Amino acid sequence: MKSKKKSMGLSKRRNLIGWIFLLPAVLLICGMSFYPMIRALVLSFRTGVGANMKFTGFYNYIRMLQDKVFIQALFNNFFYLIIQVPIMLLLALVLASMLNDKDVKFKGLFRTAIFLPCATSLVSYAIIFRALFALDGFINTMLIKIGILDVPINWLGNAQTAKTVIILALIWRWTGYNMVFYLAGLQNIEYSIYEAAEIDGASPFHQFGRITIPLLKPMILLTAIMSTNGTLQLFDESVNLTNGGPANATITMSHYIYKMSFEYSPNFGYSTAMSFVVLILVAVLAFIQMKTGDKR
Amino acid sequence: MKKVLSILLVLVMAASLAACVTGKNGNSGNTVDNNSADNGGTANAPANTSEGGNTLTVWCWDPAFNIYAMQEAEKVYQKTNPDFKLNIIETPWEDVQTKITTAASSGDLSTLPDIFLMQDNAFQKNYINFPEVFTDLTDSGIDYDSFAQAKAAYSVIDGKNYGVPFDNGTGIDCLRTDILKQAGYTIDDFKDITWDRYIEIGKDVLAKTKMPLLSSQAGSPDLIMEMLQSCGQSLFKEDGSPNIVENQALTEAINVYTTMVKEGILVEVNDWDQYVGTFTNGTVAGTINGCWILASIQTAADQSGKWALTNVPSLKDISNATNYTNNGGSSWGISTNCKNVDLAVDFLSKTFAGSVEFYETILPSSGALATYLPAGKSEVYAQPSEFFGGQKVYADITEFAGKVPSNITGVYYYEARDAVGTAMTNVVSGADLESELKNAEDTVKFQMGQ
Repeated sequence: MKSKKKSMGLSKRRNLIGWIFLLPAVLLICGMSFYPMIRALVLSFRTGVGANMKFTGFYNYIRMLQDKVFIQALFNNFFYLIIQVPIMLLLALVLASMLNDKDVKFKGLFRTAIFLPCATSLVSYAIIFRALFALDGFINTMLIKIGILDVPINWLGNAQTAKTVIILALIWRWTGYNMVFYLAGLQNIEYSIYEAAEIDGASPFHQFGRITIPLLKPMILLTAIMSTNGTLQLFDESVNLTNGGPANATITMSHYIYKMSFEYSPNFGYSTAMSFVVLILVAVLAFIQMKTGDKR
Repeated sequence: MKKVLSILLVLVMAASLAACVTGKNGNSGNTVDNNSADNGGTANAPANTSEGGNTLTVWCWDPAFNIYAMQEAEKVYQKTNPDFKLNIIETPWEDVQTKITTAASSGDLSTLPDIFLMQDNAFQKNYINFPEVFTDLTDSGIDYDSFAQAKAAYSVIDGKNYGVPFDNGTGIDCLRTDILKQAGYTIDDFKDITWDRYIEIGKDVLAKTKMPLLSSQAGSPDLIMEMLQSCGQSLFKEDGSPNIVENQALTEAINVYTTMVKEGILVEVNDWDQYVGTFTNGTVAGTINGCWILASIQTAADQSGKWALTNVPSLKDISNATNYTNNGGSSWGISTNCKNVDLAVDFLSKTFAGSVEFYETILPSSGALATYLPAGKSEVYAQPSEFFGGQKVYADITEFAGKVPSNITGVYYYEARDAVGTAMTNVVSGADLESELKNAEDTVKFQMGQ
């Protein structure tokens, strides 16, 4: 017994203790997260009405290709992703480097103000945006008073403008969040590098492009992956701001999955199959971003 | 290693979505293990049904309306059964639906209450998907003949009754008499008319007063569905297949709607609050909806005495077209988890399905209009309404309610409704009606396929 204990060695024993500490969390994650995921995967291969379901293989996944609404939702999600994420991340970068400047006054105030939208509830901000962009809402009234418009624009009644409003709302809600990541990253960049660059005659624009962006690359990668993940799972804005309308022009995949499960005649097999497509899309996109962005 | 870890991390984040769908619903049948987290909350709460005893648990959602009605029903029933108690749990309709779906698809019905309120439009869908949730009430002694037939039909499946009708969604055309007067019309000009005539008057009113007659929520085909029901039609045939492309009434209804939008007689707004705002702020001269809209209209106290109501316009050249329709409403169901079905049936049959006195109590303060026909003859229903210029609105509505044609809701009501809403939106913005209806039918057929 004694000899056996000795043969374990110090590092092995430490490892064992480490694993014992990890065990509760691992078990919880397995039970609460991985187990339902596996059950969901099994469920996605089944189809049927109510609780009577049969195993049908990849039928649900093949079926998706003919689902016009799902394809529209997929397209919408990618539209938001391609337009909104780059704008938001660039804006966050610019704001972060501006607010990182030592000479700016009221830095704390500005940082808080820009981060604050992120603390609001998703549902309430979506409803406020809906009210702002109503036919007789604040935005229309303002634009008419200033003289830019003659007649109010039906922002949420038109496919293009409705998408624009969702993108604006997303930018407002999430830019500050990403800015905080960049600010944290910027603290690791020596200020002397900027001073040296200034002495060498680099303009602020050059400094931003040649110093800030390359040194923040890991952060940018992280935020890009998080934003991709968040955009593909977009739900609250589609439900509360536009209710998917007009004519499904702004519906997202998650919103459609919800409708399939709880509003329509429930079809859980198909719903979970769609959820797994979202999962695969996120995984593939994250993989591509890592391949192209992380050259360490 | 780092990369593997980060990919894993991303997978977990994304999978939370996938897990969400099943985490709530478990798998197909007998196991309930993976939604124990969900049930844990409610199992301890008094959501469970009573074992024998004299208490019933009820799910319904509106404190000013159906919860209030239940409380009054409890008082009425306590007169003959003093030990009787209700445990009313306020549960929004979306939650009722989610909870029933969750319980039924996990196979564990023990979380369901004794009595639940269900939207009429969702009744067929829920029964077909989860027949095990509903108690058959056909021979329970509830007198279905005393309800408006079209209303009771919502909770009838294969000739069997599964619900007790409650509130009424009879279609009414409410109009501002002061504005009509400016244009030289009265409420009687709107009685028993066709939509063509309605549009004609609408144009005239718009020209003379600059006020549109109607407003509606863009993309929500409530008006279309009301027009369909007024001819006894719906989006489904009797065999359950969609009835969209060759449905003359639907084509006509969308045409009427599009014409009204183009002529400016109908303004489209984007959400419910704006819709209510259009008539409470006086930007439109009227509205057409289920009679529950009365509550919203009467919030504009400054317009008291300036309103009147009549029956809705009918579609021209469609067989069986009438001036009566319905929009919304709900019915009580008894779950199979109810341990004391006799008590639940007796309670409902002596209150919601048998007490004129009960309906007299709830009407004045909640405006809960009965589909229980004997109540319509009560004096309380014949009280003139000051807000509606002395019109006996409740008696009128109850009279309309008896004439509403019944139609087929269909299991895929919400799918078809959304598809037609999409078609309608596209047609209003200029798309071709025929191809849009074809698209809508394809979408519904696709969603009906398993």
